[in-house]
Amino acid sequence: MNRLIADTAERIFSDHVDRRVLDAAERGEFPRALWDVVLEAGLHLVGSPGSGTDGGDLYELLKIAGRHAVPLPLAEVLIANSLFDEDGLTTIALDGVAPWGRVADRVVTVEGEMSVDFDVTEDANLAGEARDRIRLRNARRVDVPGQLVERIALSRAALMAGALDRVLSMAIDYATEREQFGRPIAKFQAVQHNLAVLAGEVAAARCACDGAIMSATSPNFGVAVGAAKARIGEAAGVAAEIAHQVHGAMGFTHEHSLHHFTRRLWAWRDEYGRETHWQVQLGRRVASGGADSVWEFLVGVE
Amino acid sequence: MFTGLEFEPTRLPPEAEALRVEVRDFVARELPPGYWPNSDFNEGHSPDFSRRLGQRGWIGMAWPKRFGGGERTFFERYVVTEELLAAGAPVSAHWIADRQSGPLLLNYGSENQCERYLPRIARGECFFSIGMSEPNSGSDLASVRTRAERVSDGWVVNGTKIWTTDAHRNHYIITLVRTEPPSENRHAGLSQLLIDLHGEGVTVRPIRNLAGGEDFNEVVFEDCFVPDDDVVGEPGNGWAQVTSELGYERSGPERFLSAFRVLVEFVRAVGSEPSPGEAALIGRLASHLMTLRRMSISVAGMLQNGGSPVVESALVKSLGNDFEKLLGELVRLQARPGCDRLERCLRQTLLHSPSFTLRGGTREILRGVIARGLGLR
Repeated sequence: MNRLIADTAERIFSDHVDRRVLDAAERGEFPRALWDVVLEAGLHLVGSPGSGTDGGDLYELLKIAGRHAVPLPLAEVLIANSLFDEDGLTTIALDGVAPWGRVADRVVTVEGEMSVDFDVTEDANLAGEARDRIRLRNARRVDVPGQLVERIALSRAALMAGALDRVLSMAIDYATEREQFGRPIAKFQAVQHNLAVLAGEVAAARCACDGAIMSATSPNFGVAVGAAKARIGEAAGVAAEIAHQVHGAMGFTHEHSLHHFTRRLWAWRDEYGRETHWQVQLGRRVASGGADSVWEFLVGVE
Repeated sequence: MFTGLEFEPTRLPPEAEALRVEVRDFVARELPPGYWPNSDFNEGHSPDFSRRLGQRGWIGMAWPKRFGGGERTFFERYVVTEELLAAGAPVSAHWIADRQSGPLLLNYGSENQCERYLPRIARGECFFSIGMSEPNSGSDLASVRTRAERVSDGWVVNGTKIWTTDAHRNHYIITLVRTEPPSENRHAGLSQLLIDLHGEGVTVRPIRNLAGGEDFNEVVFEDCFVPDDDVVGEPGNGWAQVTSELGYERSGPERFLSAFRVLVEFVRAVGSEPSPGEAALIGRLASHLMTLRRMSISVAGMLQNGGSPVVESALVKSLGNDFEKLLGELVRLQARPGCDRLERCLRQTLLHSPSFTLRGGTREILRGVIARGLGLR
């Protein structure tokens, strides 16, 4: 992606997303200061028409956001802004639930309604991210593009790919620092092998995500996204399990920051279709062509 | 932040994709009607088929033309190999020569060796085996005890190699030997010799595997003379050469397609309207396969750029082998009774499955390589 944007995002998230901000967001406080910095840098318009960036940049930005567990509805804002040429805080609702509906300027539903007037019941996912129940008033119809659900599902895949990177590096760092039996636990073969499996899942997740991003303009976008969301969802479960095992009881505390990433992985793999949802869709597509076309189907998704 | 294992997103270029149709047409024409596809690159040894592939220019594709190669890309080679594997074509005869012996000779061999062997390999007339494992040296490859002693004009080899696929029907074996006694640096003093499997002082004994096949062998060298001309690379440089060979050996599509026929037959068995559970399984397996392909293609890109993706290759093989095993186990539990083709495939795959995570580096060795790549050892 655009190096300048990546560096800017990396710097802003490193400087402004910390334990304090994450914990406050979990208590329901919108990170206003962080949001203002994001607006000032123009990150909320990455991928929007006229921004000089494209959909690929949008998802690359979300990978970086995932690495930092950024407690903003960045996926919804970026996708809404890129589709509807808006520039405020627009969130997107699926089945009546929208991230940070409580502070949104407007809500778009995946079914194609939009309103600036809505009732909000505050709620959260298992990572403590604001997932508010929304009831629109005075909604108007808007044209939503095809595959909006797939686009948002890919946002979760990208966030997970980023969080997985972070979980791997945290586990490596911890295993290298933590000593038991007189040496770093990273020197034990059993731990090394678990970390190798973790690295495999993280690499697979990254490749699945990049593949789906690459197919953004292809007719196979939906298939690639489904495969990515399903594969990365599996990776998330394996990776979170291993990362916690490596971190021992320390990683089970609220004090340690590992849970900011692992709970998000657990939450995001369920949002916009858990693995089975996408597996069934993908499996039906594969089967519809018949046994002798399975290979053709698999290699055709580029 | 750990940033190793990059796996650059890589797309197959159009000229590579264009080969797909050609390979499919070729396979459809060459294989007899009712052909039962092999489910593994190790099954199906057909010098005839290999020769015809050679005539099409599909062996040694990325090698220089002056050595009989096609000067094509690793991506084009990737497409040809994965299409052949997916079709279950009999590719075992030329597989190793094309995949790693040829590239090894190109990277380290003499001009003379390249001229002598590469054109014949590329024509599909000359097949190679891998001489690495020994009865007492499996995963601990540096502990090999096969010795080559200096004589005038060459070396005399004594020792035993084992698990040598197709040694009984291939022509040559590139053999890792000790040319100096073991020292503190256990990776020093190793060399690779190119040896005629039908020459004097070489005895090949087939070993029957649990599936009833006789693909692998014991190869015994007794005072086997090897001329200086057949030393590959510098004497003493064997460890570095063997390691680079493994980059080619580990990342290809054969590392995740060994159970692919099971998926095909499962789809045939469930028909075009699978139950949700069956569809989920097909989708799950497809999502893994699509991802493994992306990873393998990314490694092909690294090879194309002259890289030596040792860790990435180990990672692809490790993930791929675990997937191959998982595929059969999951399908078995969902299979409806009475589907003969599927049952036959399942049985064939299960009987070969122990080898998936052993050959070319065990799961444990691969995880060690990955851990080293992560900076843990």
